[in-house]
Amino acid sequence: MDRFLTAVALVISANAFICLYRAAVGPTTQDRVLGVNIVGTKTLVVVILVTYILAENYFLDVAIVYALLLFVVTVALSRYLEAEGWKEVP
Amino acid sequence: MAKDIVAGVFCCVGTLFFIIGTTGLLRMPDIFTRLHPSTKCDTLGACSVILGLAVHNGWSWDLLKLAFIACFLLLSSATCGHAIGRSALRRNIPYWKKKEANEDGHGA
Repeated sequence: MDRFLTAVALVISANAFICLYRAAVGPTTQDRVLGVNIVGTKTLVVVILVTYILAENYFLDVAIVYALLLFVVTVALSRYLEAEGWKEVP
Repeated sequence: MAKDIVAGVFCCVGTLFFIIGTTGLLRMPDIFTRLHPSTKCDTLGACSVILGLAVHNGWSWDLLKLAFIACFLLLSSATCGHAIGRSALRRNIPYWKKKEANEDGHGA
């Protein structure tokens, strides 16, 4: 089972690296925020998988804090980007 | 043994949904259309993998933390998608339109 979970974690990590393309070259800033959000969700799942690969319980607390931080970061960035007077950086 | 099979099936389904979401994020032409596959496929994939790991874990206090993470993801992913979409709408990002068809009828 450990090998299977490691394979799942590797596939999800490869997906996260592919999603990083959208965060790097997204045409608009909202695309970059979306890419960062998606990469963060995949990282969260990898952290939860690492909990069971290494059999260390405290990684679950790290995952909870990561989920909360991801939510706050995305909502705060979106509210900042929709404020008046903000201009697109070329 | 049966527990491992159920957990493996849930993990495989979650990974499949992650791959579908990545494809949509890369291939869609517009921020508004990109929000559709990425947000929903990510929510379903993450919750599916967490459900598989909960089956693998069995009854313990860690199950409560996993359930909290899954419920929070169901709430937060939808909220994040809505916030990004509203931000894009208020900044007047242009919509994607299909170009005119060529002579032989194929879209550009």
